Amino acid sequence: MTNLNDPWNDDEVTRTLNDLPPVDPPSTLVNDVMSTIASRGAARATHPSVIPTKRGEIMAKKVLWIVAATAALALIAMRLVGYPPVEKGTEATIGAAQRYQSPQISSADVKTEDAQLQTFLQSDLFRQLTTDKTARQALKNKDFQKALQEPAVRAALASSDVRSAIGSVKPGVAGDAAALAKYDLSIRAALDANAALKAAFDASPALRAALVSQDVIAAMNSAALAAVLSQADVSNRLSNDAAIRAVLSAPDVAAGAAGGAATDVVAR
Amino acid sequence: MDDTGDTALIARCLGGQQDAYEAIVTRYQRGLFTVALRMLGNYEDARDATQNAFVKAYEHLNTFDPEQRFFSWLFRILKNECLNVLRARRPSQPVSLDLPSDRAADPVEVRERQRAIQTALMSLSTEYREVVVLRHYTDLSYDDIAAALGIPATKVKSRLYTARQQLGELLMDWRVAR
Repeated sequence: MTNLNDPWNDDEVTRTLNDLPPVDPPSTLVNDVMSTIASRGAARATHPSVIPTKRGEIMAKKVLWIVAATAALALIAMRLVGYPPVEKGTEATIGAAQRYQSPQISSADVKTEDAQLQTFLQSDLFRQLTTDKTARQALKNKDFQKALQEPAVRAALASSDVRSAIGSVKPGVAGDAAALAKYDLSIRAALDANAALKAAFDASPALRAALVSQDVIAAMNSAALAAVLSQADVSNRLSNDAAIRAVLSAPDVAAGAAGGAATDVVAR
Repeated sequence: MDDTGDTALIARCLGGQQDAYEAIVTRYQRGLFTVALRMLGNYEDARDATQNAFVKAYEHLNTFDPEQRFFSWLFRILKNECLNVLRARRPSQPVSLDLPSDRAADPVEVRERQRAIQTALMSLSTEYREVVVLRHYTDLSYDDIAAALGIPATKVKSRLYTARQQLGELLMDWRVAR
């Protein structure tokens, strides 16, 4: 005997569910479906982009809602992600003013030469150099400029013997190997006092060529250059590219203003 | 249900012969309407849902995959229609069990029992109710139900077991109340 408080077993539930008979659909269902299909087909033919639904809604309205929802989600996502980034200082502006802003001048931009060079550029010796064509011509010689950067060469040229030995080379023999060899002997003799320069002179054909070039031979007879070369501390200035540029630029200005032009060159 | 015949009818529909679809509706109206009625518990709602499902199926017939059973595909469309109806109902609104009047000839006790079963069915959650309805009021196999619901067959069985347990408890309350 079944107790009213006993839960139903699975078989009993199954039998009960199967007790529910199949239900006949409404007799008009087929006709209703086919007439709806026919009317929708006609509506689609006349209004292909708008399909009316049962509840009177239109598809265009659904699309509008979808687009609006998508746009709202995109805005929220952009807000959360922080895209596009807002640059500092441009908040609340429609567009940042694109002004040119030159950087502040820094100490690295101000190139100051040492005081000795400035003194040299304002000295009488410098003025004499700028007004001595033979000295300027010699200083234009790249090989001579390079030679002057060697302390040993400057030390050798400080010797009047060396200068006179080089200066005694007759113009026109620089390209004559045999004649040059003869003068080499006198130069080498003059260089005996300077072993380092002598060794360099022997080892470097370029140095020999520089010292016996037409320009340098002529410059060795220049009183202005001789005066500069004879003073070790002053000749040291000629190892400075700025000083040489100053000398070479001097012809561009009047002799009296040479010092001022040289200062401009250094400032460049 | 004759799947081979379905394929031929569907091909004719896609070829523009609308009368072929009438044959399909005639073939499936009873099964689909029964499912709708058991899912919704209301005759008018079931009629609207079935009608809408058939119309939408016709409009999307070109997306039907002949590899699957046509009834399974129809059921998925019907299920969405039923969910729309259930969502439209207010939660506090009692379900009006408007069952077919042509069964009025049944004895009172039988009708009372049928109403209790339908009431118990409506007390189940949708996912439990659908497995019970598909298992007991269609001829779908477990695999077909799984395909129609998009879940594994094992899950169909476990849901069915739980649903029957809940129905047993619900019907016990009805028996005690009699």
